[in-house]
Amino acid sequence: MQKLKSQGIRHLSDGVLKILTQNRITTIYDFLEEDISKLSSLTRLNLPEILAIRSDIFEKYSAPLVNGTTLLTKVLINEKKITTGIKSLDAATCGGIPMGCITELCGLAESGKSQLSFQVAINCVKNTERTVLYVDTKGDFSAIRIQQILGSQNCSNKEMASIMYKIKVVYIWTMDELVELFRSIKNKTFVIENLALVIVDSLPCLMFQYLGDENKMGLSLLNTLVNYSRFVGNEFNIGIVYINIQTRWIDSDICEEEDNVQSSSALKEHSYVEKRNRCLGRYWEQIPALVLILEVLERVKETFSFTQIKVSVMCSNNVKCHKNECTINLSMCGIE
Amino acid sequence: MKSFKVYDATELWQKETSLPSVPTFSQVLDNVLGSDGVQLGSITELLGLPGSGKTQLCLQLCASVQIPKELGGLNAEALYIDTNTNFTLSRFRDVNREILSASFLRCQKVLDEPLQISEDEALKRLHYVNAFGLESYCSLMHTLPKFIAEHPNVKLIAIDSIAYPFKDGISTKQRTGLLFRQMADLQRIALQNQIAVVITNEMSTRVGLSGGSVVGALGDAWAHRCNVRLLLSAPHTAQDPTHRLALLLKSNIASTAVATFQITSEGIRDVE
Repeated sequence: MQKLKSQGIRHLSDGVLKILTQNRITTIYDFLEEDISKLSSLTRLNLPEILAIRSDIFEKYSAPLVNGTTLLTKVLINEKKITTGIKSLDAATCGGIPMGCITELCGLAESGKSQLSFQVAINCVKNTERTVLYVDTKGDFSAIRIQQILGSQNCSNKEMASIMYKIKVVYIWTMDELVELFRSIKNKTFVIENLALVIVDSLPCLMFQYLGDENKMGLSLLNTLVNYSRFVGNEFNIGIVYINIQTRWIDSDICEEEDNVQSSSALKEHSYVEKRNRCLGRYWEQIPALVLILEVLERVKETFSFTQIKVSVMCSNNVKCHKNECTINLSMCGIE
Repeated sequence: MKSFKVYDATELWQKETSLPSVPTFSQVLDNVLGSDGVQLGSITELLGLPGSGKTQLCLQLCASVQIPKELGGLNAEALYIDTNTNFTLSRFRDVNREILSASFLRCQKVLDEPLQISEDEALKRLHYVNAFGLESYCSLMHTLPKFIAEHPNVKLIAIDSIAYPFKDGISTKQRTGLLFRQMADLQRIALQNQIAVVITNEMSTRVGLSGGSVVGALGDAWAHRCNVRLLLSAPHTAQDPTHRLALLLKSNIASTAVATFQITSEGIRDVE
């Protein structure tokens, strides 16, 4: 609820505001809800003046009209994508991580989500010279690993230090803190110079703390977080990556004979269907503009040197890269 | 207004590299873990069927954490949270004394001078809690910050096992919520005070799961929570029944690998 402020509104002097506050009319909503004649008698303003305040409020707080040309200029000026620095992934996502939007990295535990986000953070700093903020909710950030990846790319110590200096880490342990962090970024009370990307690893770690509660506290915090994230992303033109997880459900297959006429009855007895479920619930499902699903491919025998990970684009606001996929290799030298 | 402490990766690198790890006393296993042992500030989960050496490894770490600074150790104390009644205090003491004296003997050989730590003193640096049942376990986790504040030299917390208190009397959703709240608090303390947390977990069976139906208990969401996951097993094929295998499932610094180690009366050792 927005507070009533005297700025830019005629007749609404500090004296009038004080009287209103004394009568428990503090927010814009309170003011608009209140009977006009009552307001008039309280504030000793005449009716046309009250109506002028009302119309000023409507004018000031209604969403602004923007014409197409302005929009186009804005889109053209702002960078649209941050390259992930991984060729196949850039191709699959049509250029990388979208700026100003929410991106989701999703996968089972141990599927390389954190590793991919480390690599993206490194490549982002390398290619754009801008800063990355890594929000760590489970102590998974490893500077040693970052240094290891950089070392294997033959970076000089000086380059390494300058890249690592631009990767900022903040530890967050509850949803309240995370919401507060984004609020501070929005209000510019928490400023990181030249920020390009925020990576939150991981959101379920915070959201799961509310599982099993009767109230809907978690959901309401998630909603607030999404609003702030979108605002921050848009306003400062930064990419926001949330890491989500998948869980598995097993369903005993209830005979789908029409689909599977060939399968023998012996097989049917043992058919189980594994379902993968993106966490964080129905509400979150539609939030990210880009969802990347990570899946570790079956290990080729005796190759402990690298792991193949399939990345599929599940939903995207870009029609061209819908249902794309690619394979990336995770090794000690990072992801290629 | 809350202010957020921001670190950059260079600072964290200095911090991470300057800290010693808690050695397992098996060099092969230390190498597989990639950090010369169990990392401070992170949560390590030990998975395995009964008899695969989870408790033994915990006890070894409780002893290892006491190695004096002169030998590159932490010279610290350990907290052992026992949630399982199968494990009696007397056995705990026996095993620990054995491991302790052996560990210190070895250290003395290296230093070439006798160490001034008596067995009693070593035992005093072990804090043992028997938290049986959900209520007493949760109360313990609740009072843990206070305990750590009173015992700032505790550098290792071992919980053996995490699954036991949650076996009964709680719905799955509530369990996950509670676990994630507790782990967030625990890890905050661990990171702030540079404490290594080792948690053992049991295996459970989920029929029909891709990639093997025997998985760690507490579900897929939990698998995501720990920083390092180590699967222990007692191979049937080994000639020596004391041999154990450890498979690193998850780590943010090392890649998947297998280590062979053995459990001797002195504790965890390399296979000779």
